[in-house]
Amino acid sequence: MVVLSAARWVRSRLSDRFWRVQEVLKYARHFRGRKNRCYKLAVKSVRRAFVRSTKARREKKRFLRALWITRIEAASLEHGLKYPAFISNLLKSQVELNRKVLADLAIYEPKTFKSLAALAQRRRQEGFLAALGDGKEPEGIFSRIVHHHY
Amino acid sequence: MASYSRAAQQWATFARAWYLLDAKMQPPGKIAAATVLRLEGRHKPIYHALNDCGDHVVIINTRHIAFSGNKWEQKVYSSHTGYPGGFKQVTATQLHLKDPTAIVKLAVYRMLPKNLQRRTLMQRLHLFPEDVIPEDIEKNLLQEIPQPRAVPRRLDEYTPEEIAAFPKVWTPPKDFRRR
Repeated sequence: MVVLSAARWVRSRLSDRFWRVQEVLKYARHFRGRKNRCYKLAVKSVRRAFVRSTKARREKKRFLRALWITRIEAASLEHGLKYPAFISNLLKSQVELNRKVLADLAIYEPKTFKSLAALAQRRRQEGFLAALGDGKEPEGIFSRIVHHHY
Repeated sequence: MASYSRAAQQWATFARAWYLLDAKMQPPGKIAAATVLRLEGRHKPIYHALNDCGDHVVIINTRHIAFSGNKWEQKVYSSHTGYPGGFKQVTATQLHLKDPTAIVKLAVYRMLPKNLQRRTLMQRLHLFPEDVIPEDIEKNLLQEIPQPRAVPRRLDEYTPEEIAAFPKVWTPPKDFRRR
């Protein structure tokens, strides 16, 4: 028998549902509770997790900078300098190292950091002499500003 | 260090140290500030909140702390027992007489960050009212933290030579009558 509407009886059924579900669940495997197993709960949690991760990229920069500052403060206090004095005198000596590099130096290159602290301390003393002295003393060596013409 | 193996150097870097702090004639707030710095681990360049890099601090002579101003009479420590009419207010003097370590303990507890780590860090704080420390703690001590306040000397602690050598603003004449 020829049935011309047989083609309409073929339902289009999903064959790769497993992989579509796994695509979402793979990001939820480390969650707590049923949302690491159940798709309906996982979809909501994974979406929120992605949103939070996007927003956190801006806060990560703030958090890391605060961590670097804490570490530099600890290391400079070990050498007898407070953090504002250290940073300001380094900048005045034209040493433009950023806080990330300074924190890494403090951890992995302690002798380099010690010499930087000594440089900042010397520049600080020269600043005091220039402010409090009569001007008859010669200018300090580290207070000289080098102009680079690029 | 070239001579240490990586594991040994990491073990030494993250080891927990024991510090001693003498609270004689020191303001408890400054004592607490120095202590909290060491308890949290913020005195180390390897600090991180998750690192658990804090150290132990042993504070001695807490009975001899010195508040500035009139705080012994004016500072009030309040608490509530939870029962109606149970609001208790005690001056610093009364609290100190009842428990000589309570003032420093409260100062440190209130200065620590208000998170779940606070109780763990308080367990690493050791307070003693006098000089006497148990032997096992004394064996652990590594270094003494410098006192935050420079203690001035009393007049009777100066020798007569130092008093005579001290510059005078004016010398009174021979017939000067002091009332």
